[in-house]
Amino acid sequence: MTPAGSLLEAVALHKVYGTTPALDGADFSLHAGEVVAVMGPSGSGKSTLLHVLAGIVRPDSGTVRYGDRELTALNDTARSALRRTDFGFVFQFGQLVPELTCVENVALPLRLNGVRRKEAERQARDWLERLEVEDIRGQRPGEVSGGQGQRVAVARALATRPRVLFADEPTGALDSLNGERVMTLLTDAARDTSAAVVLITHEARVAAHSDREIIVRDGIAREAVGAA
Amino acid sequence: MTLLDERRGGTHPAASGTPAPPAGLAAWARDLGMGLRFAAGGGREGWIRTLLTAVGVALGVVLLLGAASVPQLLQGRDVRGQARQIAADMPVKQSSSSLVAAEADSEFRGTRITGTLVRPDGPDAPAPPGVTALPRPGEMVVSPALKDLLASPDGALLRERLPYRITGTIADTGLVGPNELTYYAGSATLTTETEQGGHRIGSFGIDVGEATPSAILVVLIILACVVLLMPVALFIATAVRFGGELRDRRLAALRLIGADVHMTRRTAAGEALFGSLCGLLLGGLLFLVGRQFTGLVTLWDINAFPSDMTPSPALTVLIALAVPAAAVAVTLVALRGVTIEPLGVVRHATARRRRLWWRIPVPLIGLAMLLLSNRVDEGDAQVNPTVVAGGAVLVLSGITLLLPWTVEAVVARFKGGPVPWQLATRRLQLSSGTAARAVGGITVAVAGAIALQLFFSAVQSDFTSHTGQDSRRAQMSATLPSHDMSTIRKMLKEFRDTRGVRSTIGVIEASVTRPGPLRKGEEFAPSTTLTVGDCASLQELLHTGPCKDGDTFIVTDHTGTADDDYILETARPGASVLFHADPQSGKPVGKPRLWTIPKETRKVRARMDPSGSLAFGIFATPGAVDTSRFHEPTARAMLKVDPSVPDAAEHIRNTAARLDPLMQIITLHHTTRDQQFTSIRTGLLVGSTVTMALIAASMLVSTLEQLRERRRLLSVLVAFGTRRATLAWSVLWQTAVPVLLGLVLAVAGGVALGGGLLRMAGKSTFDWSAIWPLPLAGAGLVLLVTLLSLPPLWRMMRPDGLRSE
Repeated sequence: MTPAGSLLEAVALHKVYGTTPALDGADFSLHAGEVVAVMGPSGSGKSTLLHVLAGIVRPDSGTVRYGDRELTALNDTARSALRRTDFGFVFQFGQLVPELTCVENVALPLRLNGVRRKEAERQARDWLERLEVEDIRGQRPGEVSGGQGQRVAVARALATRPRVLFADEPTGALDSLNGERVMTLLTDAARDTSAAVVLITHEARVAAHSDREIIVRDGIAREAVGAA
Repeated sequence: MTLLDERRGGTHPAASGTPAPPAGLAAWARDLGMGLRFAAGGGREGWIRTLLTAVGVALGVVLLLGAASVPQLLQGRDVRGQARQIAADMPVKQSSSSLVAAEADSEFRGTRITGTLVRPDGPDAPAPPGVTALPRPGEMVVSPALKDLLASPDGALLRERLPYRITGTIADTGLVGPNELTYYAGSATLTTETEQGGHRIGSFGIDVGEATPSAILVVLIILACVVLLMPVALFIATAVRFGGELRDRRLAALRLIGADVHMTRRTAAGEALFGSLCGLLLGGLLFLVGRQFTGLVTLWDINAFPSDMTPSPALTVLIALAVPAAAVAVTLVALRGVTIEPLGVVRHATARRRRLWWRIPVPLIGLAMLLLSNRVDEGDAQVNPTVVAGGAVLVLSGITLLLPWTVEAVVARFKGGPVPWQLATRRLQLSSGTAARAVGGITVAVAGAIALQLFFSAVQSDFTSHTGQDSRRAQMSATLPSHDMSTIRKMLKEFRDTRGVRSTIGVIEASVTRPGPLRKGEEFAPSTTLTVGDCASLQELLHTGPCKDGDTFIVTDHTGTADDDYILETARPGASVLFHADPQSGKPVGKPRLWTIPKETRKVRARMDPSGSLAFGIFATPGAVDTSRFHEPTARAMLKVDPSVPDAAEHIRNTAARLDPLMQIITLHHTTRDQQFTSIRTGLLVGSTVTMALIAASMLVSTLEQLRERRRLLSVLVAFGTRRATLAWSVLWQTAVPVLLGLVLAVAGGVALGGGLLRMAGKSTFDWSAIWPLPLAGAGLVLLVTLLSLPPLWRMMRPDGLRSE
């Protein structure tokens, strides 16, 4: 079981790529509805920590518990199912499917969960409206601006009402104004849906949207000094 | 100087004295050179892209060089084959430098064995090509392949047939191909009087010149070349576009530092040029290495020495120039539809619907060229190769032009559906050109194959003749090379006793002459054939009705080849005939040997025997005539073979060789095909196999390349829980939809092209059944490629792709 109140708990994570250690005994915990910023210099292991926490990558050693399940003990199918139902993802460049329209992109995770197309697209339109990009719903990602695309990506991540939203440098490719707006929309929407957020960033102004900050350096995660 | 420096020079007019940026050819050279440098120094991504292009182009170049070697391959085989022939029609006088030679060809488990018996007249008798000294009696020199076969357990049966001691190996110069089974055996008894044809020669070799193929065969050859090489050209055009999306991103960076659209296009062309040049080199190397192993491969009985695989110099130069030129041209055309902007943004130019109006005329003009060209069914018809090749190229090119329009028009109508279907159709809607290019090769190959198949089916009757042989009644036939009655009887018995012979139809034949002086108007004494066989054998030649030993029959000629009056002069019941008479005078030679045809001899009708001959004259069962009185009788044996006995035919050939190494055993066939027609069909099968393999390889590379470009996206889809099966189905649909449309077009285009060719050949036969296997084969190939692409897809769906995110 995770510690009282912890939704996601990682203990002593180790991960090596080739001969390079990415995680070297990292610990982490996340409470329901909490927004945690994970900060650190490039190559410190931030993204690897996110991938391991989300069950995308298996650690070489250590455990990740989500609720009463040990993520590291689940097989690929079970972890995939968990990502479909409980987790959401936002990446730096959005990574929208270029051939689908914006509304189809947002509806995609819902459809993967078995929601019928019309219903999925109706919900997707609601999310696009909430993220203030309803007007571009029929356009393809290549036809919209970076900020608009990133909002669509946030909508896609939240469409399944995940319990945990993993955001890897969600504003890294945006100017400060757009980045600020995306972060506000992301955290507001996450709080409205009670989703916890793991936010990878190296920007202090982005981290300012979080409840708590974790610093990752040389593969070890520590609570930021002075953090709440 | 960097590009930025150059641009600065061009954008600051105030900087007087700065040289103006190059223009025209100099600009081309500069930008192509820059593209070459980018490709060569583009880091890992750049090299992967270059490698993909190079491998693709190399595969095409190998095939093109292979095709360019065909003239040398055929000529080399012809020259070596003719150089060892026995010139039967140019006898020479016996001398110390002459020899007697006779062909003793055979067959072993479906493979032809070329054999020659030799007996030198003196010490200076020449050896055949590839042989240093003529073998002595009881010895033989053999090809390496035959030596290996005889030494292997598989060759045990053949060793019985060739019981000579091996004293040497035939060198390559004496062989048509490296896997050929050939031998020269020494004989002590061979003479020019040998029944089966011994010839005295002063040297080996004949010059038969080149046979001129018929106009229809010329059409077939041209069409085969077009059909086989067009997919290769398409494949090369596709290969130079590999990695285009990654390259476009790189070019966007160039735009950022001031390169204009034309410069980026030329730079992209330079990158493609580098890939194609690497491909050209790699292809050349692969060809050089691969040709060393050509001897190991036998396709439809054809194998070649490495030296035969020498491309024509002119064609080699053409390939070396055309491939890089095509790479540049294709890249420039491809980039017309892409707008590369600064800030790393690459947007496809405003989606412009593909137009149909200029695509339709291309195949129509091709078809019109074929329909309006000369008919080639007349005997002296001439073929204009340019018109035929041009027409076929235009029809097939038209199909490749119509394909992108068709794919775009059809997929635009797809809406909704399950997730894999939606992902696939949306991808096709966004980029139908990529999908159409990927299946262009298979579409053209199938269309061409359909046209060829229709043409083959329609004209094959022109090149197939009925032998009259009936392989249901007997499967093998031999003419016994003896005039000695006891030997003939022994031979017939040996065949009857051979393992695998179910029954024997054996007849002995001799000439009989009407006795007495020549009558008025006669130039020679009337004679006919007396055929002796048991009732079972005679019933295979005649409609005897009831038959018992001692019966005799008469048949007049039904074929018109003999004069019935002459036959009736001799073949009369109750009349006497001479067994040995001088044909000019009709007088008996030596003591008259007379036989009286029984009065009760019945006149019957002949029937076609299993070897396709229609006999006439006098027929007798053994009890009716004493065959020991015959003069120089001959005998024929037709054998019914037990198909359940393994190697029955080989046992029969062994018996024949034991009786006489020169005895010819013929396998009876209902029909025979023209050799040139068969050669072209064989060549086409060989070519089609290689082309299909190339198309499969190209589709696989193309699919993998597309997957590689979407690797990160695939990882993201997997990250948010997409099932692998969903993505696998999406890939399958993405391939299947354009393939299906391509095959529909291929059938339509193939039928149109085939129809045009049939009209040219004056044929109205349209064999629909010849069409369907080809699209099915194409679809099977696509399924195979999709299955082969699944393991890499599985690997790419690992989350590792997110690491750079």
